[in-house]
Amino acid sequence: MKPKLNLHLFLALGVALVASYALYSATDWPFRTALFPKMIAVPLLVLALIEMGLSAFSTEKQREGHAVDFELTANIDPSVGRRRTLAIVGWILSFFILILLIGFPVGVPVFVFSYLKLGGKEKWGLALILTALSWLLMKGLFDRLLHIPFPDGWIQSLFG
Amino acid sequence: MAEAFVAGFLVVLQWKTFSFMLIGIAVGFWVGLLPGIGGLTTLALMLPFIYDMTPVEAFAFLLGMHSVTATTGDITSILFGVPGEGSAAATILDGHAMAKKGEAGRALGAALMSSLVGAIIGAFALAISIPIMRPLVLTFGAPELFMLAVMGISFISSLSGQGGRAMIRGFLGGLLGLLIALVGLDPQAGIERFTFDQLYLWDGVAIVPLIIGLFAMPEIIDLAVRGTSIAGELPQGNLNRGVMEGVKDTFRHFWLTVRCSLAGTFIGIMPGLGGSVAQWIAYGHAAQSARDATERSGFGKGDVRGVLGPGAANNSKEGGSLIPTVAFGIPGSAAMAILLGAFLIQGLRPGLDMLDKHLVLTFSMVWTMVIANVITVAVSLLFLNQLAKLTTVRGTILIPFILFLAFIGAFTEHNHIGDLVSLLLFGGLGYLMVRCSWPRAPLVLGFVLGEIAETNFYISSTRYGLSWLYHPVVLTLMVLTVIFIAYPHLRFYLKQVENEPIA
Repeated sequence: MKPKLNLHLFLALGVALVASYALYSATDWPFRTALFPKMIAVPLLVLALIEMGLSAFSTEKQREGHAVDFELTANIDPSVGRRRTLAIVGWILSFFILILLIGFPVGVPVFVFSYLKLGGKEKWGLALILTALSWLLMKGLFDRLLHIPFPDGWIQSLFG
Repeated sequence: MAEAFVAGFLVVLQWKTFSFMLIGIAVGFWVGLLPGIGGLTTLALMLPFIYDMTPVEAFAFLLGMHSVTATTGDITSILFGVPGEGSAAATILDGHAMAKKGEAGRALGAALMSSLVGAIIGAFALAISIPIMRPLVLTFGAPELFMLAVMGISFISSLSGQGGRAMIRGFLGGLLGLLIALVGLDPQAGIERFTFDQLYLWDGVAIVPLIIGLFAMPEIIDLAVRGTSIAGELPQGNLNRGVMEGVKDTFRHFWLTVRCSLAGTFIGIMPGLGGSVAQWIAYGHAAQSARDATERSGFGKGDVRGVLGPGAANNSKEGGSLIPTVAFGIPGSAAMAILLGAFLIQGLRPGLDMLDKHLVLTFSMVWTMVIANVITVAVSLLFLNQLAKLTTVRGTILIPFILFLAFIGAFTEHNHIGDLVSLLLFGGLGYLMVRCSWPRAPLVLGFVLGEIAETNFYISSTRYGLSWLYHPVVLTLMVLTVIFIAYPHLRFYLKQVENEPIA
């Protein structure tokens, strides 16, 4: 029987690798330090391997594996869903990179404006008002009032 | 005693005390709503303001603020899927799912009313239990706390869904959470475990980025994929009607609310169990209350009981954690440790004096918690319909702000870029878990209980050898753990047998 390659299999494989790494790391530790990691990693590895086997070779029964958790929207054309997923993941990573490069106080309004204008295709007026609101929140509340120590971005650090 | 109880009520109603309490409530209201500002930090920031206050005014101000942050924290969890407070994360699972079904009003009504019931039960538990609490707290040493953690972990079976495959995935999540809890310096020998030579990880994985990543990120991605508002294309009328329905839900499931409140109070009393534990235990218990597999599978997808349980436990734990703080000077949580500072500033010594000489002050604390929550819920109920309408705002407008709050909320944990890396990593893991139908709640349960279990296990074995296994409370908790694991399966089995046609 040919194994099915799917996301379930890869997630279980990832967890199996994490458990294996935990067991490997624990081999060098003293007994007490290693006891809990081993006690947890062994059943984790066994269950991950079982889940891998089930994901690769068995067909899931209707609703059997459904979690006590929310489910992603299913009534969207898969190709549209994939495109939108990649787009939002790209935006999230861009936000992170923006913060690294120019820091929170500048990065937040830049991100809000870019998302509203490019991602949301919102009108100029609304985009500018909401950007100003985000800047006010960022500068007024988090920076001035609460004095959260936001680090400079790499670009600011570069130019002193 | 009764006189002091009434006198405590009357001193809170004095105009100056009442005004300070109102200021505290106003601050706490916003602190709870905004993910970037923790209730704990604000409590610490407010300490310098109490120097010129009398003890009654000071505690009305501080407790008024602190006791409402848990209540309003639920509002952000429900509306946007980002926890306003770390202790309001469990409400996301069903609360936000309800918002997506157009039932934001009902979820908010249920969260607020159950919070009020929880706060009242927690506060009155404080009032009546002080004289009898001393022997109980002293009975709970490391072995009992270890077994309590194990009992908490056993709720994984309730949070996993039905069927063998769902159980495997639930336990995979729970074990992964336990393993993540071990990251950092080993508490026994100070040896680095899974830190990858990063100083940031010495203290372990930060809980706020983990929770925001696991819960908020998949919701944000899903919102973007749907391309609609949070509530989709549902008519707005549904939102407005729901608030009273949510309030009624609290009374429809009143015993569940009471049980979860009592569980929260009990967890609050136990020093060292932490504020995040109560909500997840309560959520597990709420899921356990499902009568059959179909009902259980509705949890996480918008079952109001998943809002009521954590909502109630979240608030009742505050009253519970005040008990050891006031009576013995043992803080039940980090917030209570800060509050202990307020005692010192006011020249008060927790302990016998608080039950004798300052009994009126102790009862004023009880009344502050009750009155503050009544005011918050009453004020919130006036605005809930407007708040619920936020779920009809276009996703493209909400997404940058939700991301902003998620990033700020995660960053304020340690004010370190590592917090944002954690957020992204756990966001990715949370999304994959949802895609593959792995429940996320067991992971958080394992995470919050992992360190407690390990630390108390070592203290127990060092101090008692194996004899701790025969402690009466440990044995009782063992039996309860077995019952908690077996009960849902037994009930489903009996129901199946009942439904089978007689040959």
